[in-house]
Amino acid sequence: MRNISADARLGGLWERVQHYARGFGRTLPEIRFFVLDPLEFASLLEKNVYPVSPVNIWEGRNMVSKRHRIETGQESALYYEVVQCGNPSYAYLNNTNSDMTQASVMAHVVGHCEFSELNVLCDSKPNRSEYVMHLVRKANMGRTQMGDLHSTEYWNACESIVPLISPNSQYNLANSVDSDLEMPLREKVQEPAREAEPKRAQPYSSTLQALFKPTQEESAFRRELKQKIKKETLSRRGYRLKAPCQDVMGFLRSYAPASFGERAILNYLYTVHAPQDFIMRTQIMNEGWAMYWEKKIMLELFKEKAVTGIIDYARVFSGVCYPRPFFARNPYHLGYHLWCEVEKLYSEGKVTLEYIEEKDRLVKESWNRPGQRQPIEAMTHLVRTITDYEFLRRFLTPELVQKFHLNRVDKRTAKALGIKPSDVIREDNQHVWIDPKPVLPQMLDFFAHFNRPCVFVVDTDFNDGGLLLLHRYDGRKLKKKWIEPTLRNVNLIWKAPVYLVSENHLFQYAAGAYKDVEIDELDFEQVAERIRKDEKPFKTH
Amino acid sequence: MLEDRISSSESEGAFNEFIEERLESLSEEVLSEGNLENMADRGSDIIVELDTIEPPRLIYESPGGGEGEGPGGAQPGRDPGKLRFVLTFQRIMELLGRKLNLPNLKKEGEGKIKRLSYEFKTFGPLGVILDKKRTFKRALKTSIAMGEYNPAAGKTSVSILRRDKRFKLPETIEKPRHRAVVFYMGDVSYSTEGERLDMEKRLVQIIQGWIDYNYGPKNVEHRFFVHDVNATEVNAADFYNVTNAGGTRAAAVFELVSQVALSEYNPGSTNFYAFYFGDGELFEDDQREVVQIVDQTLRPYFNRIGLVEILPSHFSSLNKHARSRYPNDRVVRLAEIKQKSQTLQVIKTLFGEVYAQY
Repeated sequence: MRNISADARLGGLWERVQHYARGFGRTLPEIRFFVLDPLEFASLLEKNVYPVSPVNIWEGRNMVSKRHRIETGQESALYYEVVQCGNPSYAYLNNTNSDMTQASVMAHVVGHCEFSELNVLCDSKPNRSEYVMHLVRKANMGRTQMGDLHSTEYWNACESIVPLISPNSQYNLANSVDSDLEMPLREKVQEPAREAEPKRAQPYSSTLQALFKPTQEESAFRRELKQKIKKETLSRRGYRLKAPCQDVMGFLRSYAPASFGERAILNYLYTVHAPQDFIMRTQIMNEGWAMYWEKKIMLELFKEKAVTGIIDYARVFSGVCYPRPFFARNPYHLGYHLWCEVEKLYSEGKVTLEYIEEKDRLVKESWNRPGQRQPIEAMTHLVRTITDYEFLRRFLTPELVQKFHLNRVDKRTAKALGIKPSDVIREDNQHVWIDPKPVLPQMLDFFAHFNRPCVFVVDTDFNDGGLLLLHRYDGRKLKKKWIEPTLRNVNLIWKAPVYLVSENHLFQYAAGAYKDVEIDELDFEQVAERIRKDEKPFKTH
Repeated sequence: MLEDRISSSESEGAFNEFIEERLESLSEEVLSEGNLENMADRGSDIIVELDTIEPPRLIYESPGGGEGEGPGGAQPGRDPGKLRFVLTFQRIMELLGRKLNLPNLKKEGEGKIKRLSYEFKTFGPLGVILDKKRTFKRALKTSIAMGEYNPAAGKTSVSILRRDKRFKLPETIEKPRHRAVVFYMGDVSYSTEGERLDMEKRLVQIIQGWIDYNYGPKNVEHRFFVHDVNATEVNAADFYNVTNAGGTRAAAVFELVSQVALSEYNPGSTNFYAFYFGDGELFEDDQREVVQIVDQTLRPYFNRIGLVEILPSHFSSLNKHARSRYPNDRVVRLAEIKQKSQTLQVIKTLFGEVYAQY
């Protein structure tokens, strides 16, 4: 691994890329580039794009297989780009790539780093890589304290809950759990109570009136009681659920009883996997933004002949942006083309109330009334304020679905998916086209679950100290043979009985015994309402 | 802030240790389900391919769609469903022996064939390979005696004289060499394809491996014979590929093997093994003839004879007939295999103690 400052050619290219990026008004953190050989690259990816990681068998498993594949020529090891966004950001180049590819990677990284810096989900963190390296040292220290066997066992248990990380969910830790650390702060920022207004003289309260408005007194009492319970719970346990918590790993990381070493493992795994949530929620915008700026910067570099090979670049670019059906999602293709469409819409002034309210079709078709704000400014504003869900909802019309070939499926896949001839609106020798209208709702559905089961912590004192998880059932069953080992792993972390409700089953793992009991199906909304009311979300008796 | 080289070698080591610890429990799966590449290259390391290990997670029963890939999309050429690792031949055979509690094969013919080897057990004043340790020891003694080496007086030189030099001398050692010949007999009159071929191939691979492990690969000769109505010798690759849809007569191959064994080898110094693989659907007189050849010609000279019915049908009767003659014999072993998972059970029947038969 070497820094590009040691390579005059690459260092010069990076300077030119930065020059144009700044010229385009991009907001950039400090970006540090390093050049790696193919095996280092493979290793870096297995370490979640951090240069070091604690010893673990899962990384070893992947690398043993990958090393074999690279060494026997079964895997090309030609990775396009890898970047760890943050401030500073660390980006890695593959030493087998040409100068033109290296320049395009640098330009692409510019887009990613800016997106991470500006986006509403605030992905970019100061000194992220350095912080992870600090966590690695703590995990290694914990390993020596715990011993290899226990440490490996605990790590493997934690791997089971890695997909249950949702820091950006509406039911994330901050919105679902009151903590004794946060409560005093929250009380401090409360506005000082205003002086009570003199109570107006009330007319005589008849029995009828008391019957009409009996709740006022009671709700005041209940409010008081709730406050009391809340404070008691917080002082006893340090936290209290106020809503279902979807960030299960975040919850366990903060509140599961753990030794120093165990907490270090939880912290490390949570920290390195949490950005996945950001990636899932913004991948289309993010990759599109990176491709958009990559192309702009590369065209400038070709113009000044800082790099050559524009034909090769065009070939690679069109390969990366090759259209795929909506369910196979190519974020580079969809993101890039959608950003281009958005730019066109803003430059023609079509994202305005006047345009939307215009009734005359001819006027609408010939609409070209640029606003005062530059399209790039408006696009940057979008980056600052929305994620993929809103981006697609606002801008992806059925016409664009058709234009981007998102509804085009090759015939073999169509047959495998069981697409009926009645659903096909057009076909040629290789492809069929389906109705573009249902495509957007189906793409938006993905953001509700990300193809993962939605699992929530709903009770932390179930059956006297047990952790109750609820799978929000959406008609898809959980893989049954993995429920028991997963609960056993959660039990190892929670150190008390663990329960999972899915559909009409209550799975429980306590004291080394696993049980599957049939129950009435639980409604998520009902459970959330009960938690809000400080009631038990579910009782077995 | 960054290390010089990004490497996963420690994690790879941890994974290899993890696999090593679990090999005992994995051995059954490795041998009966794993893809044993290179097993045919005798004595070489074996690449084992198994279903990968995954941390258990709460996932859907049938994950759908292609959405939700991580950053950068799928990686090229990756097969996430398989796990490949290398096992040494010795290790896998040790595992097999321990797992099935197999006794070492009895080696006969001791003293008749010798293997010569050299060991450096003696040392002399003349030779080619200098024994530095002995030479220095002697030189030190001489130097002390001559007063050249006396640290108390500040004298620390040690001079090596010609007479102090000691050389390693080779000594010829004779070790008894155990030679073995294994005959594999296959019935090609039935359809050896698909699952049946896989089972036969795997059984032959493991038998080859176990006998090689016991005698040493250089001391074992493996010979392959096939038969329909007539019998003929083939090479190892053809053993699995030759098929014929005609009639069948198993006695022909047993006759041929007995002729080859007794005419080409010295029965006094050779350990003979023979294994027959077929569907067991033979005519009654053929079965009688087979048992007669086994009983009269082969059994007195052979260490082990195995009759294995692969995917036997309702009409398979070779083993039924042979069982009446050899209900629990030390030399003649009878086995049936109906599914892949019974592979190790068959190996245990062929090589295990007699009382341990299923």
